[in-house]
Amino acid sequence: MNCLKTHKLISPYIDGELKVTDRKAFESHMKSCRACSIAVENARNQHNLFAYAKQFKAPYGFSTRVMADIASEKTTGFSLPLLLTRFAEVVVLFVIIFSGIISGGFLAGNLMPEKLSSVTSSLSLDVFDPAPPDSLGGVYLSMTEVRDEK
Amino acid sequence: MHRNDDIELINSFKRGDKAVFENIILRYQDRIFNLCIHMLGNIHDAEDIAQDTFVKAYQKLGEFQPDASLYTWLYRIAVNTCIDHKRRPFFESIFKRSETGEESVIDQVSNAPAPDKVCESHQIQHALQRALAILSPKLRAVIILKEIEGLSYEEIADTLDVSIGTVKSRISRARDGLKVLLKDFTEQK
Repeated sequence: MNCLKTHKLISPYIDGELKVTDRKAFESHMKSCRACSIAVENARNQHNLFAYAKQFKAPYGFSTRVMADIASEKTTGFSLPLLLTRFAEVVVLFVIIFSGIISGGFLAGNLMPEKLSSVTSSLSLDVFDPAPPDSLGGVYLSMTEVRDEK
Repeated sequence: MHRNDDIELINSFKRGDKAVFENIILRYQDRIFNLCIHMLGNIHDAEDIAQDTFVKAYQKLGEFQPDASLYTWLYRIAVNTCIDHKRRPFFESIFKRSETGEESVIDQVSNAPAPDKVCESHQIQHALQRALAILSPKLRAVIILKEIEGLSYEEIADTLDVSIGTVKSRISRARDGLKVLLKDFTEQK
C-alpha cells in the first residue's frame, strides 16, 4: 500500500469501517511510514475533539408545541390563507411601486407647461452677460478685438 | 434503537391513532434538535426546523415503509429541511436575522463561569462550531451524523440517500476541510 492510498483510507480506518484485509495492509504501511502515521494521529485527534461537542436537548414543552402546530395545520388544510396572504403582499408591493412611478410621472407632467419652461429659461446662459464692458474681461475682449482688426 | 416499538407506533398511527405521534416526538426530539443545532448553529432556527421536521414527518408517516429505520428517515427530513432553510429567500433571511440575531450556540446555552477545564472545552466547542459553519451543508451534515450522532457509514448513506462510497468521500473531504481550522487542537507539536 502506498501513501496516496493510505491517505484515502485514513477516515474509514479511524471510523472502524475498513475491511480486515485493508486494515492489515494499512497498519503495516503505518509502521514503515512516519508521515502517514502522523497524518493518522492528527485525524484521530480531530475525531476525538468531537467528544467535546455539546449534546443539546429539545426545550421543555417541545412535543406539545409540535402537536399544537400539527393541530393548527390540520384546521387550516393546505393553508390557503397563507397563500392568499403572500399573494396580497406581492400585490401591495406592486401597487406601491407603480403608484410611485405614476405619481412621479404626473408631477413631472404638471410642471412641464408653465413652471418647467420658466425653470429652463432661468437656467439659460443668455441671461448672463459674460463680460460687461467695464469689467476686466470686457477690457480684455475689446483689446483682442482691436488686435484682430489690425 | 427501539425498532419494534417504532413499528408498533407507526402501525397504530396508520390505524388512525394519531395521538401516538407525540410518543415518536418524545423519543426522537433530542436527537433531531441536536442535529438541527449543529447544522444551523442557532438555537432559535434549530427549534423552528426541528418543529418543521416533525410536522413534515406527521404528514408523511402514512407513506413510511417499515423496512426503513424511523430515525434515519427522521434524520433525512431534518437534514433536508436544514439545507432548504439555509437557502431561504433573501428578504426572509434578513428579517429573521434582525429578529433573532445569529448568536453563537455556545454563548446562548452556557453562561456558567469557566474554570480552566471548562474554558478549554468551551474553546474547543467554539472552534468546532466555527469550523462546522464553514463547511458546505452537505459536508457538514455528513460529519455531524458521523461524529456527533455516531451513525455508521451505512446509516449515513441510508439517511442521505447516497452510496457508501459517497459517504466515504464526503467524510474525507469534510475532515480535510476541518484540518486547517482545527489544527491548533489536533496537530502534534
